[in-house]
Amino acid sequence: MSLTSAYLRSALFLLTALVLHLALFSDLRVLGVAPEVPLAIAVTAGLVGGPERGAIAGFAIGLGIDLYLPTLFGLSALIYTVWGYTVGLLEERIFRSAWWINVLVTAAATAGGLLVYAVLGELLGEVNLYTDRLYTVMGVAAAYNLVLSLPLLGLWHWSWPRLLGEER
Amino acid sequence: MATGTRTGRSRFTLIFLLLTSATLITLDARDFEPLQRTEETLSDLISPLRSGADRVFEPVGDAWAGVTGYDELESENEALRQELQKLEGQQILDSDAAIRLESLLDVLGLPYVQDIPNVVGEVVTANVGNFDRYSVQINRGAEDGIRNGMPVVTRGGLIGRIDGDPGRGHSRVTLLTDPSFEVGVLVVGTEDVALASGGGHGEPLMVTKGLEIDTEVAVGDEVVTSGVDRSRYPPGIPIGTVTDIDFDEARLLQLLTVVPSANTDSLSFVTVLLYDPLEDG
Repeated sequence: MSLTSAYLRSALFLLTALVLHLALFSDLRVLGVAPEVPLAIAVTAGLVGGPERGAIAGFAIGLGIDLYLPTLFGLSALIYTVWGYTVGLLEERIFRSAWWINVLVTAAATAGGLLVYAVLGELLGEVNLYTDRLYTVMGVAAAYNLVLSLPLLGLWHWSWPRLLGEER
Repeated sequence: MATGTRTGRSRFTLIFLLLTSATLITLDARDFEPLQRTEETLSDLISPLRSGADRVFEPVGDAWAGVTGYDELESENEALRQELQKLEGQQILDSDAAIRLESLLDVLGLPYVQDIPNVVGEVVTANVGNFDRYSVQINRGAEDGIRNGMPVVTRGGLIGRIDGDPGRGHSRVTLLTDPSFEVGVLVVGTEDVALASGGGHGEPLMVTKGLEIDTEVAVGDEVVTSGVDRSRYPPGIPIGTVTDIDFDEARLLQLLTVVPSANTDSLSFVTVLLYDPLEDG
């Protein structure tokens, strides 16, 4: 598979994930909380592709979801970039992960990402982010992303098979 | 060596993306128009894909809402049943209740919409994230005459206002339950203009400013928009009913709890009043 083909697959994957999140996953709420698909995308990209691809995927999906959120444009992109990069770095240097560690890391990173999002958003003047409900959101979204992480990890492996093979 | 080069490149990529994000945040905070136009264009490009996916997955979302919201629906039905019984009982006991009900229905019959041009829009997305519980997106925008700040109503009364510059064919509505939402109100039968603000998801509105302590207000009184000079809302739009009255002795004010007359939980269609206080007021 050529480099172009890998990038096209990644772009297609990101666009499909964004549309599915908007049309389907955002409606599948438990206790009023929807899965954080874009955040799971950034984290799993970091776990599978390393820090650089994690950052790029996080930035791209973050910008996409920012189009539909009332918060500042670029806020999700900023946090997902950092999260994709950090998780990718940890994976490279510490985890060297088994699949079940990746699943747990996705859940923990989802909860952490939401906390950072709420705190940073409030610092930037947004309202209604750091509320009593935040911990419920973190818990439910983490559980949701725990389930979603397996197919997402598989889809990233599908997007970058040759690139990953060459690097290893 | 190769690993070192890759690490250096990934750091460069990270810094570049962070700077880009920070720049976008800064420009958005300053309402930089070209950025807003770009956002609209990108959103419009994704829109057909999203509409198609919405149509495909709508039954799934509905089925999920049916399963997860069943208990809520049942208790809501029970509450409505009790309310109905109370109304029926009251009607038998006191014939004035019938007159009151009739006048209430007159108020709720959207007479305020008749004189004001309006556009009916469909709610296309309730909320896509976990932090935007106070806004919905509708499929009407600038090309339909919608502008920032215009009031949005349903048959029940005011539900919010247009938030920010709308896209060509879509716009965002901030709901009146948003704690940062404020609207000038009047308790029907009084002359004090007060300020009501959102109380959060599923919570009543609070009137905390402007209502003198000696103004006669009773539980059950109707609250409507005041429409005073330069208000962004026309007068007389139903807001809700007073359910509790408290007193702030220090400030000599009355504090009201107002249950909204319009339900913002399951919105399908809304009406945007093309109201410009400078032209229409």
